[in-house]
Amino acid sequence: MLSNMESKPTAAEASTALTDAEASRAALAGGIAIPSWFFTSLGAAIALQIGTTAAGAVAVTVWLLVGGVAVLAAVAGVQLARFRRLNGVWLGGFASRVVFGTGTVASVSYAAALGGAIWAAYGSRWWLAGLFSLAGGGAYALSGRRWLRTYRAEPAVHARGESAAWLAALGVVAAAGLALLLLNA
Amino acid sequence: MAELDEHVVAPARLKLMTTLTAVSEAEFVTVREALEVSDSVLSKHLSALEDVDYVKRRKGLHRGKRTTWISLTPRGRKALSAHVGALRELINGIE
Repeated sequence: MLSNMESKPTAAEASTALTDAEASRAALAGGIAIPSWFFTSLGAAIALQIGTTAAGAVAVTVWLLVGGVAVLAAVAGVQLARFRRLNGVWLGGFASRVVFGTGTVASVSYAAALGGAIWAAYGSRWWLAGLFSLAGGGAYALSGRRWLRTYRAEPAVHARGESAAWLAALGVVAAAGLALLLLNA
Repeated sequence: MAELDEHVVAPARLKLMTTLTAVSEAEFVTVREALEVSDSVLSKHLSALEDVDYVKRRKGLHRGKRTTWISLTPRGRKALSAHVGALRELINGIE
């Protein structure tokens, strides 16, 4: 049972209060559950988006480019809503690092996979483009699992994500990249 | 020695604010269950911390029901950090 400690605490009381508070935080962070098929669906959506972007850039097909992005956005939106419903919390760090891929491993692996897939598609090596897509999706999902472990170890450090303005800026850059792909094709 | 924050010195409030650092925002029942307190105790501490702008409450939905979502404010986060620093000094016997 919690109680009020009106006067200045002793060192022992302070230690107990702090330990109790940190245990409560660790319990909440440790109890965060991931919806079923979360990483599988996210990885698959990323792989699909990389593949359709590569194919769309080569074939100059807008619906392929937009379709892949739309599927990714739908999967991300549904899974984030399930996460919030399941846990009764919102975790900005989870949304930005795991779902929007702003973590170093996710962003670097995504960029490398996308670049490789587009390069392979321009050379009509479709099997290689598919391989890059799958690798990109897999790395994205694995980086999400890795983030979850680091979050549970230090929840206060990793709970918050990038600001909405920063995410919006990334969205603009991504949209500009897609537009450039189409213009150059 | 750093000063203890009178608004956070109660263990219940320290626990509440520390727990909130693990999330961006949490639903009322989730926080209540994490702290193992009653609705009225949690509401009382939330009101006190809201009065000094350490926490923020907003009405929202969870599983189709109206509920309250709770988060730390930047001021609350800063106050908690300072208070925890003062507690650590006290624990370590720094005068």
